[in-house]
Amino acid sequence: MRTPKKRRLYLVLACGLCFSAAVGLSLAAFSTSLTYFLSPRQVVAKAPAVGQSFRLGGVVEAGSVLTTLAGETPTTHFAVTDGRAAVNVTYTGVLPDLFREGQGVVAIGSMGPGGSFVADEVLAKHGAAYMPKDVEQSLKQAGKWDPKFGPPPDASSWNTMTVKAGS
Amino acid sequence: MIDPWPFINGAYGVSVLFLAVAGWLSFARLRRARRRLAQAEKL
Amino acid sequence: MNEDVLPGVGRLKTGGWLHYLANPARFLRVATPALPWLAAVSLLLCVVGIVWGYAIAPADWEQGDAARIMYVHVPAAWVAMAGYAALAVVSLLSIVWRHPLADIAAEEIGPVGAGFTAVCLVSGSLWGKPMWGAYWVWDARLTSVLILFFLYLGHVALIRAFDNKAHGYRAAAILALAGAVNLPIIVFSVQWWNTLHQGNTISISGGSKIYITMLYPLLISTLGFYLAFITMVVARVSAAIYERKTASALLAVAER
Repeated sequence: MRTPKKRRLYLVLACGLCFSAAVGLSLAAFSTSLTYFLSPRQVVAKAPAVGQSFRLGGVVEAGSVLTTLAGETPTTHFAVTDGRAAVNVTYTGVLPDLFREGQGVVAIGSMGPGGSFVADEVLAKHGAAYMPKDVEQSLKQAGKWDPKFGPPPDASSWNTMTVKAGS
Repeated sequence: MIDPWPFINGAYGVSVLFLAVAGWLSFARLRRARRRLAQAEKL
Repeated sequence: MNEDVLPGVGRLKTGGWLHYLANPARFLRVATPALPWLAAVSLLLCVVGIVWGYAIAPADWEQGDAARIMYVHVPAAWVAMAGYAALAVVSLLSIVWRHPLADIAAEEIGPVGAGFTAVCLVSGSLWGKPMWGAYWVWDARLTSVLILFFLYLGHVALIRAFDNKAHGYRAAAILALAGAVNLPIIVFSVQWWNTLHQGNTISISGGSKIYITMLYPLLISTLGFYLAFITMVVARVSAAIYERKTASALLAVAER
């Protein structure tokens, strides 16, 4: 039986389906511009022109940070890596508090003439793991996780670890 | 090192202010609506 | 069948409690005694969650005290999205089943949801400055939540924009349903695209990355925010029903 209610329901469902498909397809089509930053691998592959502004994102390579003071403002050289490729970055100015080796960062700027990325702004990208400092320390000591090498394991493993140790 | 506390206080301040004001306004409107209905039914 | 007769009055067999509550008088019978309890419990949970998060929960290993903003930002974000989902559901009930209460609910959910979205945006911005180094970036997560805010504002304006109330309800319901595609975009934006915003800490499919002493205050304040949202919406819907009753009572007096 085709009641007006059923007809309206199917109409809404059909419209919703078409609209979602349209939005999904446009998102897929514009997916590159929706990406906030390029990874070093993408930068190496695309080789953006010197002076063309873009955002570079990745992890600060361990052992690559070198800071020099010229008067008041520090200049920092570091490499941003995604594990496969690395891009050298130069930034003059005060870095965010969370900046450290192994930290995710997004640098905004452009490629300089020397093949190194000149950043106008450096943003720190922090992880999605929340735990007190002492839990992080004990995880490190137990060899379960080092923040330098990516995100921590599932919380159930460290929550139960300490709960079991305590009980 | 940026002191995070002004930002924390700001975020909590905005949240508490919103919850308090929005909650208060909702119940004030409910009381007013009940009072007006009682008046209208008396007519 | 005459559609202008109050639907949902015991005539619909399917649909359960949503249809049951779609009758304004029945809604008031359930909501009026429940409201003081809803208000008390949500107030208690909000106070406990906020105080716990602000002063008692441990500082984060990476972000220090700034991570405390999580205990208001994350619940506000979840409520903002759940509120929009509720808006979409009542819009569907309005378009398909023409429940009169669904229109009232849509009208009252909008401003409350917009408020929670604003709290989410402001607290997130105040979190971004000390941690990321910027109040605002145009990444997919932040942009999609800003779009959610504008969808709410658009709905609030549209539903009140017509002289003929029914036209406003229809137009706003279509906007709410169309805007619902934004919800999965918000949730999955951090997985589909590179964003400055971190990934999801808690996912429905398991695999959370938060320590229990920080999870408890987060869950309590989330529950508190949800109940606060429900309390405000129920109070406002009740008030709207009374206002309509008052208007029709005064009209009856004028016609006498």
